[in-house]
Amino acid sequence: MQQDKTWGNRIFDIVNHGLLLLIGIVTVIPFIYILAVSFTSPHEVAKGGFILFPKEFSLAAYRYIFSTDTLIRSLGVSIYITVIGTLLNLLFTSLMAYPLSRRYLRGRQPILLGVLFTMLFSGGMIPTYFVVKSLHLTDTLWSLMLPTAISAFNLIVLKNFFQAIPDELEDAAKIDGCNDVGVLFRIVLPLSMPAMATFSLFYAVAHWNSFFNAVIYINDSEKWPVQVWLREIVILAQSRIGDTSIEETEIQPLTIRMAVIVFSTIPIMLVYPFLQKHFAKGVMLGSVKG
Amino acid sequence: MKAAKKKAVAVLSTMALVTGLLAGCGSDEGQAAEGGVQNVSIAIAQVGDVPSKGNEVQQKIEAYTNTKLDIQWIPASAYNDKINVMIASSDMPKIVKVQYNPTVTSAMRNDVFWEVGPLLKDYKNLSAQNERFFNNIKVEGKIYGVPVFSDIARATVIYRKDWFEKLNLKVPTTPDEWYETIKTLATSDPDGDGQDNTFGLMLFKKYNEDQYSFTTRLGVSFGAPNKWKVEDDGSFTPEFMTPEYMQVLDLLKRLYSEKLLNQDFAVFDSTEAEKKYDSGVVGMRVGVAQNGKSQQERLSKNDPDGVVDIAGLLGANGDRVAGQTGNSGILAFPKATVKSEEELKNLLSFLDKLMDPEMATLLMRGIEDKHYKKAGEDQVEMSDFDAFQREVKPYRDNLPYVEGYNVPKLKDTELGEKGTDLAKELAEHAVPNPALTLYSPTYGDRGADLDQMIADAQTKYIMGKIDENGWKQEIENWANAGGTKIREEYAEDYKKQAQ
Repeated sequence: MQQDKTWGNRIFDIVNHGLLLLIGIVTVIPFIYILAVSFTSPHEVAKGGFILFPKEFSLAAYRYIFSTDTLIRSLGVSIYITVIGTLLNLLFTSLMAYPLSRRYLRGRQPILLGVLFTMLFSGGMIPTYFVVKSLHLTDTLWSLMLPTAISAFNLIVLKNFFQAIPDELEDAAKIDGCNDVGVLFRIVLPLSMPAMATFSLFYAVAHWNSFFNAVIYINDSEKWPVQVWLREIVILAQSRIGDTSIEETEIQPLTIRMAVIVFSTIPIMLVYPFLQKHFAKGVMLGSVKG
Repeated sequence: MKAAKKKAVAVLSTMALVTGLLAGCGSDEGQAAEGGVQNVSIAIAQVGDVPSKGNEVQQKIEAYTNTKLDIQWIPASAYNDKINVMIASSDMPKIVKVQYNPTVTSAMRNDVFWEVGPLLKDYKNLSAQNERFFNNIKVEGKIYGVPVFSDIARATVIYRKDWFEKLNLKVPTTPDEWYETIKTLATSDPDGDGQDNTFGLMLFKKYNEDQYSFTTRLGVSFGAPNKWKVEDDGSFTPEFMTPEYMQVLDLLKRLYSEKLLNQDFAVFDSTEAEKKYDSGVVGMRVGVAQNGKSQQERLSKNDPDGVVDIAGLLGANGDRVAGQTGNSGILAFPKATVKSEEELKNLLSFLDKLMDPEMATLLMRGIEDKHYKKAGEDQVEMSDFDAFQREVKPYRDNLPYVEGYNVPKLKDTELGEKGTDLAKELAEHAVPNPALTLYSPTYGDRGADLDQMIADAQTKYIMGKIDENGWKQEIENWANAGGTKIREEYAEDYKKQAQ
């Protein structure tokens, strides 16, 4: 870090910073727009134009979406399946990944091939529905957590991560009297915190965004996660709005749609900064270690 | 010691998890009917917010029909997927709202649902409705459910009355009149701001698709068939091979080449077109009768002097309006859950009761002094439309109702009432689509692609990218790609059903 920067360096820095700033702004502006519109009065929005700051501040949209307890309840459902579901994901994935990472495990290759197979070929919607139904999971929140409890891709990455942990550590633990479960929970998992943090983010975001399974498996609208409502309100409004010839469908004003987006995005965005520092170290950390 | 404790925790938590799972699966749905009250489970489409359980509207329906309703609301975003899963797994409630599409019709053909055709005559309200509603949902000549009725024909011209008066125009009927009217509206500055910024007509990218197609609606008024024409020898001709329909394409081609039509129509989003109409720079459009009123409301916000009016889309050859399916879904009864004909009859009488005056009023107007109030003899007025949209509309949109049947008239703006009346009147002049209920396996397989092929060719023709020979070539391609087969299959099925 010397002071004697050449002109070339300085110009490079300026261009670099400028470019990054620009990309940053481009990324942030849509969020500001959504936030601003959600706080603007509906007739101000109807006039059109691009809003980055509400001229007429209004809470009408939020008052509307909170006038029933639907969204709050579904937010509760989303938080529930995200927290519990992610814990299950981490537990099941590491319970399966660890044995598979041990080279002395017999029958490891066929199982790994089996896992790989599911990544390439899936059973399809209707057979999966039959499985869920015959396990009596339909109409329960378990149907959103158990069928997706282990992601084959994450499993393989985690297995590779575990594999990179030196066998000598395991040997040492065993000599000290640890059994296999002890090795996993006391040695391997504590060493894998960056990977666990990363996967919990992957899994949590997937749970937070899940909507299709909810529509297919859950009949009781009181158990829908927030994304089902979000999709109904935002996406359908866009696709239907101009089709005037179709019977007049109820179209939610833009402000309400934006308020719902804000409402359903903020919780998961709040989680992100806390996991981001682990995320930065990356999933691939394990693969280059040692 | 510590290790053992931790191990115990691990084991315990695993066990807790497993028992939790098992507990989650316990509940069963077997509830018996109590004291003659009939349990009715229905799967219908979500409209806006899902009403809370035990709300006033639902209570009133239950009390009147002596039922216990268990409604499963399905979000539109995955409606057909969910229905497909339900049909495939036989996991259905007693009444399911389905759409008339290939999956459903093949399920009907395979006896998944009860046939109700012969029973309908026993129900006073259902049998009182126009036969056409039921004909339009037939599969191999049989009726497998009760339609959620909607207007059979509703295409109208929605136009700027103030501009028309100013420029001395009248509602056009022939292709030449349409050309002249659009040209005048676009070129003689009807809004009087001295700028060349008005349009006679605006098209958007889906102008020639589905039953809402602008070209079909206009074509029918010029004498073209509604999608398909049955020739005297029983063969089928698609609309785009008829000279009357070509008049529409030639009209649009001419308007396009003279820049009287928005030049970007092929990619123009309907939302954008909508905004143009609302902002008051376009003179007329083809739309739904009931849209006149809402068009006026939106226009008034931007142009307080603007006056909107509607007129039937009538051609020089007399009144001809493109008929639509006349339903927004079919309420069908799965054999898997409705076990006996007795039960089927009970369900039919439940739907029939919903059309009694008391229920029809509830579904279409809401609850007195909450959503509507009396306004003179046999006429009511909406008092809280927002509440109606939220609390009543979700039920109305999914259950059988017919505006004007067993329901007090609604006091509305003049244009609103005109729209309602006109929609009724137009049904008399509806030209049906003869292929609507015919079966063509090829169309089921490849219909969407073939339709798209022709839709694209039409756009190219209007834009002058292909000439008459090019257009003929496109039709040839369509015929070779399966079009001819569809024509044959329709003709065959038509013959079979006529017998």
